[in-house]
Amino acid sequence: MQDNLRRDPFPLKTYKHIGERGPRRLDGYHKASGRADYTMDVQLPGMLYMRFLNSPFPHAKIKTMDTREAETFPGVRYVLRYDNPELPERASMGKLTGIYGDPPPLSGIAHFEGEPMGAAVVAVSEEIAEDALELIRVEWEERPFNLDVLTAMEKGAPLSYPEMYPDSNYWNNGLFDEMTQGNVKKGFKQSEKIIEFEFNRRSHTWIGPERPCGVFRWKGDVAEVWVKQQRPHLVKKNLSTWYGGVPMNKIQLHCLYQGASFGGWVQVPWNMGPLYCAGFVSKKTGRPVKYTFTRREDFYGESMDEGVYRFKVGFNMDGTILAVECSSICANQIFPVFNAVNHIRESTRVPHLYGKIFSIWINKGPAVPTRCEQLPATLSLTAVFSRVAAECGLDPVEVALKNDGFEGHGKDRFEKEKKGLGFPAIDSLKECVEKGKAAIDWDDKWHRPGTKTLPNGRMHGMGFTWTNEWDDSLGSAEIAIRIERNDGTASILSMGCDNGVEAENTYCMIAADELGLRLEDVSYNPQLDPGFFRMSPDSSTNLSVNGWAIRHASRILKQRILEAAVAPTAKTQRGSMRPAFPDCKPEDLDIVDSVIVKKADPSEGISVADFVREAGQSGPVTSTESGGFRWAFTEPLFAFSYHVQMGSYNPENPRPHLTRQAHFLEVEVDTDTGEIFVVKTVNVNDVGKAINPMSCEGQQYGGTIMGLSRGKFEEMIYDPVTGVMLNGNLLDYKIATTLDVEGPIDTILVESGMGYGPYGSVGIGEDVGTVMTGLLGPAVFNAIGVWIDDHPITPEKVLKALGKI
Amino acid sequence: MADHEIKPSICPYCKKEFDSIDAMKQHVFKAHRGSDPPSPEGDIRLNINGNDYYLSVEPRWTLYDVIHDRLGLTGSKQFCDRGACGSCTVIMDGKAVLSCMILAIECDGKAIETVEGIAEKNHPLIESYVKHHAMQCGYCTPGFVTTSKALLDRNIHPTENEIKEELSGNLCRCGTYPQHTIAVLETAEKLRTGKADGAEKAQGDG
Amino acid sequence: MEPKKHKETDDMKNFIHYNAYSIEEAVMLLARYGKNACVISGGTDLLGKMKDRVLPTYPEALINIKTIPGLNAIEEKTGKLSIGALATLTQVAEHETVRSNCAALAQAAGRTASPHLRNMGTIAGNICQDIRCWYYRAPKNRFSCLRKGGGRCYAIKGDNRFHSIFGGSVKGGCVAVHPSDTAPALIALDADIITSKRTIKAEEFFNVGVLHTTTVLEDNEIVTAIEVPTQNSVTKSAFIKFALRKSIDFPIVNCAAAITRDGETVTAARICLNAVSVVPKRVKPAEDRLVGETINEKHVGEAGAAAVSDAEPLEKNAYMVELAKAIVKRTILACGDTEGG
Repeated sequence: MQDNLRRDPFPLKTYKHIGERGPRRLDGYHKASGRADYTMDVQLPGMLYMRFLNSPFPHAKIKTMDTREAETFPGVRYVLRYDNPELPERASMGKLTGIYGDPPPLSGIAHFEGEPMGAAVVAVSEEIAEDALELIRVEWEERPFNLDVLTAMEKGAPLSYPEMYPDSNYWNNGLFDEMTQGNVKKGFKQSEKIIEFEFNRRSHTWIGPERPCGVFRWKGDVAEVWVKQQRPHLVKKNLSTWYGGVPMNKIQLHCLYQGASFGGWVQVPWNMGPLYCAGFVSKKTGRPVKYTFTRREDFYGESMDEGVYRFKVGFNMDGTILAVECSSICANQIFPVFNAVNHIRESTRVPHLYGKIFSIWINKGPAVPTRCEQLPATLSLTAVFSRVAAECGLDPVEVALKNDGFEGHGKDRFEKEKKGLGFPAIDSLKECVEKGKAAIDWDDKWHRPGTKTLPNGRMHGMGFTWTNEWDDSLGSAEIAIRIERNDGTASILSMGCDNGVEAENTYCMIAADELGLRLEDVSYNPQLDPGFFRMSPDSSTNLSVNGWAIRHASRILKQRILEAAVAPTAKTQRGSMRPAFPDCKPEDLDIVDSVIVKKADPSEGISVADFVREAGQSGPVTSTESGGFRWAFTEPLFAFSYHVQMGSYNPENPRPHLTRQAHFLEVEVDTDTGEIFVVKTVNVNDVGKAINPMSCEGQQYGGTIMGLSRGKFEEMIYDPVTGVMLNGNLLDYKIATTLDVEGPIDTILVESGMGYGPYGSVGIGEDVGTVMTGLLGPAVFNAIGVWIDDHPITPEKVLKALGKI
Repeated sequence: MADHEIKPSICPYCKKEFDSIDAMKQHVFKAHRGSDPPSPEGDIRLNINGNDYYLSVEPRWTLYDVIHDRLGLTGSKQFCDRGACGSCTVIMDGKAVLSCMILAIECDGKAIETVEGIAEKNHPLIESYVKHHAMQCGYCTPGFVTTSKALLDRNIHPTENEIKEELSGNLCRCGTYPQHTIAVLETAEKLRTGKADGAEKAQGDG
Repeated sequence: MEPKKHKETDDMKNFIHYNAYSIEEAVMLLARYGKNACVISGGTDLLGKMKDRVLPTYPEALINIKTIPGLNAIEEKTGKLSIGALATLTQVAEHETVRSNCAALAQAAGRTASPHLRNMGTIAGNICQDIRCWYYRAPKNRFSCLRKGGGRCYAIKGDNRFHSIFGGSVKGGCVAVHPSDTAPALIALDADIITSKRTIKAEEFFNVGVLHTTTVLEDNEIVTAIEVPTQNSVTKSAFIKFALRKSIDFPIVNCAAAITRDGETVTAARICLNAVSVVPKRVKPAEDRLVGETINEKHVGEAGAAAVSDAEPLEKNAYMVELAKAIVKRTILACGDTEGG
């Protein structure tokens, strides 16, 4: 099945586990007890440790490098230099590596301070490798550098990547580099009012708790690797092209529990290059090699929204928005980025849009999807809508409802579209905002900006934003399910990364309901490599792909079980045994709570466990029990399926986003210190169908905390003179603690059924974290009556906005 | 390698040239190593989760290095390695402390409890954590469990605020903070009423 | 480039570790090593610096003083409270007498860092900790700045958003800040620092010349106790910390005050800011403004303004002046509350 474009035509009639709260997490005990293994925990006999040289400069080339002292340092086993003639000039590091194409696995030129490059030292311990790194003496050719997109755009600015981009720092690479809908000139002419403003988002990064690392071991010509990676299939694919070619069937891949990356790791050389080097040295030394990055080295990239956004918005004073023009000047977009007006296009009736992205190279790390690549688009929608509401003196919720729609079409057409696709025509936004408003007492609490001072002296503010709920994953999933011998339990087979969103439970719940098994009889270990992959990471809302594949495989398997139940068993050339259910057809049977039953009389049945019988060398046909089917040999019960999807990534034929999300925030601002207190958050997400509600809530909590953390504190700070990163540690780069989201977070799920995923589901993984990142702005505006369009919103910026400095 | 760059097979100490890097290295080990200063090591005994371990440690090894890398107790994690995140928390002398900021050589004779020990005892905290999904990627979870356990060892009547304060040194990037409070409150209730289902009740001193 | 001798590089990263079992032994070891040894108590500042290889040289030896018995007791003595150098911040924050009589100190200790670090960090370590500046503390000695014997202060022309608002410690710069939370409280409470050699007033304990000294301690001198005079019943103290996050963070600005009143009128005030300068700064102009007045919005507002009247903000930290004003105000107001010690 491909690209489901309509409502799920064949959902289940009843759900047992799907929608249930609180299934026992498959990974829960491992993680709570410290027994979960991560790549960083891997230790193999004789293992060596690899550490990389880091560039002390933001833009520099190695002129000479003396590694002799490092070579002879006690405990060092190998020093890999970038100019080693056996290293290839280019190696496949992953598709979509942007400017790098296929880069060298170890570069001699650094493009940002702290970039791992030049040399790698391999030693018997990490400490020794680090000590030896300090003995490497490099003569650098320092080059001029850029830290800021605006100055890098100017004529005469130094080149940030002269080898790749000798003409300018501008790169036109986006999927939706330029997006046009209607005619903005016309729209502005029709508008009662036009405003222009600018929004600035400073760079922030993923902060994955488990530091980047990997282990490579050769067993003869078999390559065995452990990787911290969100996309293990990429590892296998790229690895198969290295070292003159390694057959796919000679690669043993381990993708253990993942200590989160939120993107970050996606498809960049610093992910695969070290693995290449580790494999290279492992071959030379005959020992397993583990490479690790320090916490400082994990700051090697950023999210995709760093930049300046310039808006021109035309609207009527009743809140109808007619035209939006946006030029976004964003840094280092090595991944094709969605246009900043994309969410306005997808979710509203605004007829005239024009968005242009300028992707500008500067000497910081690459900008990669970091919960997520839709940040520019959601920040823009929030900025535009909240400004228009303020200018019109209107409640922002009303402005949202007024402009809700899709691709320039209004509510009527939207409803028609929903019905045409077989969905119920539910006004998702209306339902979301009504629930959200009730939860936060919006109607009582919202007020005109800057008009409410509390008894405690602080100014009170209410913020709101919204957009579509998305899950348009581009990719494929292959899933197999096997019924185990002896006890009839089901194993889902497909490799993917488990970074904690509890996807595996969700897939088990689908399989259990589809197969008719008890939930405790279904299990899924995504760390096993059966040779095929599900879409990964699930935090990128891959349920819309994987869910289908699980379902297809389950339905095929169920049919297979029922067919086997009515067929003769133990069939050989000499004869066969009676079926388990003689005189029945498959459609007469069902599976309920792991028992195959007759529909006509569910008390008559045989458990799946008994049906599949034993496995083993002594063979299943060993029983001396008398009586028919208990002698039987059932065929192996196994099925596989797959799903392919292009979703919205196909600009020719996008799927309209039908469901919505709405988020509300209540804040207090201390006008003497500029401090912002988050009093209450309400998240409302229309997920179509909440297959695993607790997993959805986890994304709401997690997304809120990350979003507010980004809004309040997160910024990568560079010394303007030397380009050195100043806060590359977890003390100076601040992520929220448990005390920093002061008030409660209310999580509400709406289930309109208007999703393209199985059972009408829509994803949630990226959504809340991305949208919440911009919500502090409107909330603070409502409190103090002044816009702060430079995020993060620190106390300093509040004080400045209040005119106190 | 640039033309003017020094050949890698020339000894960096006496400038003698060799045919290969390997030959040069062998020369260095013979001619220049001589009497290396001995690695300053200390012998210590650690009592971890009730078991004694006798070790020879370098002074610079942290308690985390020893527990995680040398003893294979990989439950404690290293998120920041600078005392700013709580993921490496162990319980020592009844207090939640950061193993990455403690020198192992200073722990001679100490009794230490790690997340593995807490799980081995079937402390009800573990089940509460599982039940309330107080984890996502799980990397910070052991640090929260040990910190919470140290809190409950001292106080089985914690308020919600007290729990948040006590856990305020534990960073979670996945944003699971709300679930931790629920899990700890439930565990405190279990400990107070003695209703640790099917599991041994935790002792006051861990 | 001449490669360093093998032996020299070998000694750089490892060190010799000593457990001292008496003050005399610690002092003797320090005398032997001079500037090449460090005392380690909680280790939460020192180990971070060593891991990052912040300084151009690495200590040859660490002298553990946690093994010296009797240095962690908190005891009431006549006219004072004696707090052992090795009392942890948790101990100090939770001690009944500290909370009731020296509220500012209990609050300061209780808001330092995080619960874990308070379990590990000692009060003496907290006041002896090194300054904060992200140029100084950049890993691998990336900026060989004034404080390390180098040529200049990088923060002056760099990103100085968290740096001193009261100028530099030496000519040409060092606009780092002292990050301790307990230090201003001890100054406000007029505490004495007892060392192995002498008694030093808390206010005179800090010295930030170049080459990584933050106190007046000599190379072979250690803190053994801190004595806080028993506060009389008409004196109230309070501490407020402002940081970006509610836990873990160093202060951007903090303030401790001890205010004595006769009825409603302030008869004495000791107000100390920290994290705004290279040493804790007792703000006498604010104290002078307040003495003889009552604690009300007008007077504390003037005191707050007076506290920063001689501020010299840098390019990026003017907001800290506003913050300092506000925090001084609030700390004085907190001393005016009828409850608390």
